[in-house]
Amino acid sequence: MRPVEILRSVFLSVTSNKFRVFLTSLGIIIGTFTIILVVGIGKAGEAQVADQYSRLSVESITIARARGSGVTTTAVLSKDEALAMPESLQNVESVGVSTRISSEIAAGAISTAVTIQGINEAYADITHLEPLYGTLFTDEDSLMRSRYAVLGYNVANYLFDGDIEAAIDQTVLIKGASFTVVGVLDRIGGSGGISTSVSADSTSADDMAFIPYDVAIKYTSGTTRSGVSSAAQVSFVALANDIDSVKPAITEIQEYIEDTIGSADVYSVTDAGSVLESAQATARTMSALLIAVAIIVLLVSGIGIMNVLMVAVQERTREIGILKSIGAARPVILAEFLLEATFISAFGGLLGAGLSAIAPWALSFTDISFMPSVDGILLGIGFSVITGIISGFYPAVKASGLKPIDALNYE
Amino acid sequence: MSTIIEMKDIYKSYGRGEGKVDVLKGVSLTVEAGEFVAILGPSGSGKSTLMNLIGLIDTIDSGTYTIDGVDIHNQSDRLYARIRNRKIGFIFQKFNLIAKYNALRNVELPLLIQGESSHSAKTRALATLERVGLGDRWQHRPNQLSGGQQQRVAIARALVGNCPLILADEPTGALDSKTGQEILKFFQDLNAEGKTIVMITHDPHIASQAKRIIRVEDGLIQPA
Repeated sequence: MRPVEILRSVFLSVTSNKFRVFLTSLGIIIGTFTIILVVGIGKAGEAQVADQYSRLSVESITIARARGSGVTTTAVLSKDEALAMPESLQNVESVGVSTRISSEIAAGAISTAVTIQGINEAYADITHLEPLYGTLFTDEDSLMRSRYAVLGYNVANYLFDGDIEAAIDQTVLIKGASFTVVGVLDRIGGSGGISTSVSADSTSADDMAFIPYDVAIKYTSGTTRSGVSSAAQVSFVALANDIDSVKPAITEIQEYIEDTIGSADVYSVTDAGSVLESAQATARTMSALLIAVAIIVLLVSGIGIMNVLMVAVQERTREIGILKSIGAARPVILAEFLLEATFISAFGGLLGAGLSAIAPWALSFTDISFMPSVDGILLGIGFSVITGIISGFYPAVKASGLKPIDALNYE
Repeated sequence: MSTIIEMKDIYKSYGRGEGKVDVLKGVSLTVEAGEFVAILGPSGSGKSTLMNLIGLIDTIDSGTYTIDGVDIHNQSDRLYARIRNRKIGFIFQKFNLIAKYNALRNVELPLLIQGESSHSAKTRALATLERVGLGDRWQHRPNQLSGGQQQRVAIARALVGNCPLILADEPTGALDSKTGQEILKFFQDLNAEGKTIVMITHDPHIASQAKRIIRVEDGLIQPA
């Protein structure tokens, strides 16, 4: 049989019952779609972890109040004591300080709840806060108690309705006081794309506003002798000279805290590396979980595809018997069924991949984030199409191997 | 006159062990070119099995079979397919047309399988459909045709390749007697033109319209 005639047979076969072709490819459509979805969700999770910690230098060391019942003393490390560390500690280059306040922030009639961080210059430096427009405030501004504010990208975008550059030199209200916007931070970005709202719980700088530390501390309650509230969340971040000095720096800092306030247990001193490691461990657990889900999805969709296609081809055993009885050789019959299975599988695979284009939109109504990826699309289409071709071809191989009379009498 | 079918001492059984059934127990049969032979027998006599063996759609256990000069012993599947395509025009009781193809493509198929071009296959298939009286129905699918018309499409498919042997298995079994009679008349016309026809039937009246009757009973050919 001429190849063009084999193609025509395939064409007649798929066009003679379009609905059957659609039903047959449904398993492949859903299989492809689900695989792309699972991979996309996994990728988005990984990217979120990567984003969250991308701002952290490996040389940075977090000094935060230890949590837990073991901590008995209320002694605190004052800002000045902490900031004096680089002078006396050989391996510490600089120390940043920050405190957090939750507040409304308003520009004109628009307002939103937001996390405000009071920070010094070193903090901005260590955590890589970069202005997109304007500048950051200095330690001098902080000493002068200048009411300057630097807005995260999403915050500026929200308050100034997309016109981010116009935020500079505008006035915003924080805790009822007016602040001048001196800068807007470059977008840290990541998986979420440009968000049109601000998440008050987010740990991303995109969703925060920053004011000088000495201004922020006034808004925290219960101020004590050293200007640090016991209730206020004050934490420090130290920068080691280089990667090799991280370990000695941690020891130095712990000794320094013990010498200064009498107990080293009040603060936990951790390097970014171990913070990152534990976050990566979490991410690994998550992707292991997603891989498990993906394997189940592959199995289920694979079985679904096999089921449908095998039955569809088995039902045509009689047709194969007719073709054999009028003299069609096995390779011709196999070529026809292979082409048809390939066509149906490719059709289903592409439709499933096309369907996955609505996933970001559909998932935007949920908390699940999705990152489209070439890997996912290739895996989804590849797996489904190969499963489809095999499941469509295998019963044809079997049926065409029967004696014509057995294929003709197949019920 | 050349010999189309030469079978010697054919055995065929189904199943194995206790359930083994011997269907053909040493059948010998010769059909010359130009004959119109009816193989007559009650159901279970083995006539259908004999027909399947003649048509190479089932395999022989033992014995020799030569069709149109070709000894089919131990040949490749490819050669069997070729013989079915070039030497035998099969007509089934249940027509066995491909439902998704129209009458034209059903008739074209044996030619397309031979590797003929689409144009020449179409010309020959249309002429053959014309001959069976369905020239104006070529674009109809089997389910849009009556039983008699479907059988005529099947006959056209058997004729189109100019095979030396037409094999018909109860060709009138699924038709009413008037339509059946038309088909038989057509077979007689074909035979008059020189076609060799072997027809299987259980009906002595239908068999009587062939030139020669071979009776099969209990797996053996009865002496005439």
